[in-house]
Amino acid sequence: MKLLTHNMLTSHVKGVTKGYPLLIKATEVKVSEVEFNPNFVSRMIPKLEWSALVQAADGLGHLQDLPAELVTDYEKNEEFLRKVHRVLLEVEVLEGCLQCPESGREFPISRGVPNMLLNEDEA
Amino acid sequence: MTVMEEAATRLEREHVHSVYEKIAPYFNDSRYKAWPKVRQFLLEHEPGSIIADVGCGNGKYLHINGSVFKLGCDVCRPLVDSAWSQGHEVQLCDSLRLPYRDSCFDGVLSIAVIHHLSTKERRIRAIKEMARTLRVGGRIMIYVWAMEQTRRKFQKQDIFVPWNPNPPSPTLGREQPTPRRRGAVQSMSECLYSDKNRKVKSTSSMLEKEEMTCSPHQSHRLWFFSRSLDSVFDFGSLTISRSTSRELISTVSSRLGEAEGGKVGRRGRGAGLIEQLSSLFSGFSRNNSEEDVFDSVTDLARSQRDHVNDNHSNSTEKTSVSTALVQECGSVALPDLVSSYQKERTEGPGRPGEKDAGPPGDLKQDSEGEPAAASCLRYYHVFREGELVELIESHVEELHVLYSYFDHANWCVVAEKVQVWNI
Repeated sequence: MKLLTHNMLTSHVKGVTKGYPLLIKATEVKVSEVEFNPNFVSRMIPKLEWSALVQAADGLGHLQDLPAELVTDYEKNEEFLRKVHRVLLEVEVLEGCLQCPESGREFPISRGVPNMLLNEDEA
Repeated sequence: MTVMEEAATRLEREHVHSVYEKIAPYFNDSRYKAWPKVRQFLLEHEPGSIIADVGCGNGKYLHINGSVFKLGCDVCRPLVDSAWSQGHEVQLCDSLRLPYRDSCFDGVLSIAVIHHLSTKERRIRAIKEMARTLRVGGRIMIYVWAMEQTRRKFQKQDIFVPWNPNPPSPTLGREQPTPRRRGAVQSMSECLYSDKNRKVKSTSSMLEKEEMTCSPHQSHRLWFFSRSLDSVFDFGSLTISRSTSRELISTVSSRLGEAEGGKVGRRGRGAGLIEQLSSLFSGFSRNNSEEDVFDSVTDLARSQRDHVNDNHSNSTEKTSVSTALVQECGSVALPDLVSSYQKERTEGPGRPGEKDAGPPGDLKQDSEGEPAAASCLRYYHVFREGELVELIESHVEELHVLYSYFDHANWCVVAEKVQVWNI
């Protein structure tokens, strides 16, 4: 699970109103090289919940020097875009779980795939 | 959960989810050629878009358009694992409860998915869930199997389809994008992809109009017809006559194509389904006539059982025999019961009368170790013309239908998310 994906994921347990963002508890993280496309990253940024991204990266120990606030005029700031690219696409959680911030319910991640299936009583 | 919800959930678990889990290893793991209009939909999104494929299966659409971010989800673990091993971002989830925040996607795909939901209400809920995750202005493309096929119609809308492996064939003209394999972590499903399994293909993304036959005896596709759960639970029609019981199960044709040792035509597990339905309804305070229906069905089932042969003595699996009767359905090839030989032809209108078959011997080879078709009945609600559009226009106000069309045995809709103002 990449952090870009994580940015979209939310807890959908019945009754939960603040299920986003999910807390990442990772037991295995991998960093791989992904081709950098500045245009792609630049267009992706407005779609992100920035603070959730920062929180997630920080939780994994991969924040490095990603700023807590979005910089202005990032479109042409290649250095910044590279930092975002790394965090969004190169850091992957392979094993661990995602925890609902409200209910505490844990959704397992195994072999890179989050299992977001709910039990009958949660749906 | 209401009784109807419970019935629907059980039906789908038995005749959708568990079937796909069994047949997942037999899906070819290299990419099928995406249908042109689906491909076009994906390519039309601007770079940096985020697209979700809800019900992505083994991820066959997730490689298209490298400039957009795609993620897929499905309820079938082996298929999801397979997609992940190809380098895609995928999650396990249920289409009725998507784990995504509101308005986060620019595009959503729903290709051959919602026809597996067994009630109208659930189909609407699935569409609404996908609409929820779309941003305003974002678009969704939905494909569902059509009741109206090129040469004839399905007689009923709610059907059970036996799964059949296809005979092996060379794969010609198929797109083979470079998969981004995950070197370090091998998914279990990858290990299942032995060469033997690669011969067998089944996908709901292929639409074929030609008849798939392996011999003159096997010239008939077999479907089990059923009443929809919606109609069964219609309390306005409590009186159910014997003629209705025949609707539920139709006369079996003995030409169930076991010719030449082929797998085609193995008995379905109609009895199991009927017993399951029967047990769900037995708690109901219904007219006696209703219970008579199900009793008569199971009696019929038992008597039928004695008359059926089974060719595969070497199969360790319990080959339960067909009880529910199978209606002979003529020569319409189901969209995903496709002979691989069909792929050699150009996509286009079907040519009736052409029979293409693998050498019978291949079927024998393939017959080892496969799940019995008996236990692989998939439930489908096939859509009438206009039904999908009507469903959206009447029940999903947050979607505006842009256009709809018929594409290779599917009814298709593209709709846009609109802002709804609730006063």
